[in-house]
Amino acid sequence: MKTGRAMAMAWGMAAVLCAQQLKLNLDHLAAKASDSVDLSLNNSLLQFAGKFLDGNEPDEAAVKKMISGIDGIYIRSFEFKQEGAWSQADLEQIRNQLKAPDWSRIVGVKSAEDGEESEVHVCTQNGKVTGVVILVTSPKEFTVANIVGNVSLDSLSDLGGHFGLPKLEQQKKKK
Amino acid sequence: MDWLENELKQALQRKDPSADFEARVTAAAKRRRKVVPMPRWLAAAAAVVVITAAGAGYRYHQGQVAKEQVMQAMRLAGSKLNHVQLQMRTRP
Repeated sequence: MKTGRAMAMAWGMAAVLCAQQLKLNLDHLAAKASDSVDLSLNNSLLQFAGKFLDGNEPDEAAVKKMISGIDGIYIRSFEFKQEGAWSQADLEQIRNQLKAPDWSRIVGVKSAEDGEESEVHVCTQNGKVTGVVILVTSPKEFTVANIVGNVSLDSLSDLGGHFGLPKLEQQKKKK
Repeated sequence: MDWLENELKQALQRKDPSADFEARVTAAAKRRRKVVPMPRWLAAAAAVVVITAAGAGYRYHQGQVAKEQVMQAMRLAGSKLNHVQLQMRTRP
């Protein structure tokens, strides 16, 4: 009886995780791209990598702390030499998976000038963030980053600063 | 043909070894290093050490690859999130 309940819970957990993990059918874009990144890191690989992260290095220590609550990171990023390599259908197949009530778009920026679109979607369950999707597209770029698990956007943003990019707060002060 | 037969007879006739021949052979045999066969357990232990070290090396290499992938993923996700935030703040 206990085994049956445990299995049902495991199936339930798997179903929840599946909802947070997007199906990224973008392999056809890789052939057209001049540069592409395809990263699929599941929980076991993240935990394995965590053992090799140096807690004394600031960047690695921050990543080590973050991945303790993450179940998976899935990134597809393509850069093209020419415009029109990706279609609106590619974008829609991702957006269609980001439906309410679990998913909500917290940021949406569209620039008519350079045709760039950026979105951040967050999956929340019982008031906890359980998944994040960052979608950045421009006529020559298509990037989708799907982080499954409890991820802090502030920490992730801080990592952007750690990795040699200027922190936004600092930039703002300079203006 | 007599001279040829004589030559052959001389060349093939039995000659006794020198007096110290036996002593020299015995001394040379004693000088020869005694080969000690390697025990099997030592060969097995060496094999275990080599396999373990190779396994540890491979695991370390895999760990470094995994670490680099995680760092790259975080770097990319963090930079894209910063890019989105920058876009928001620079919008009029």
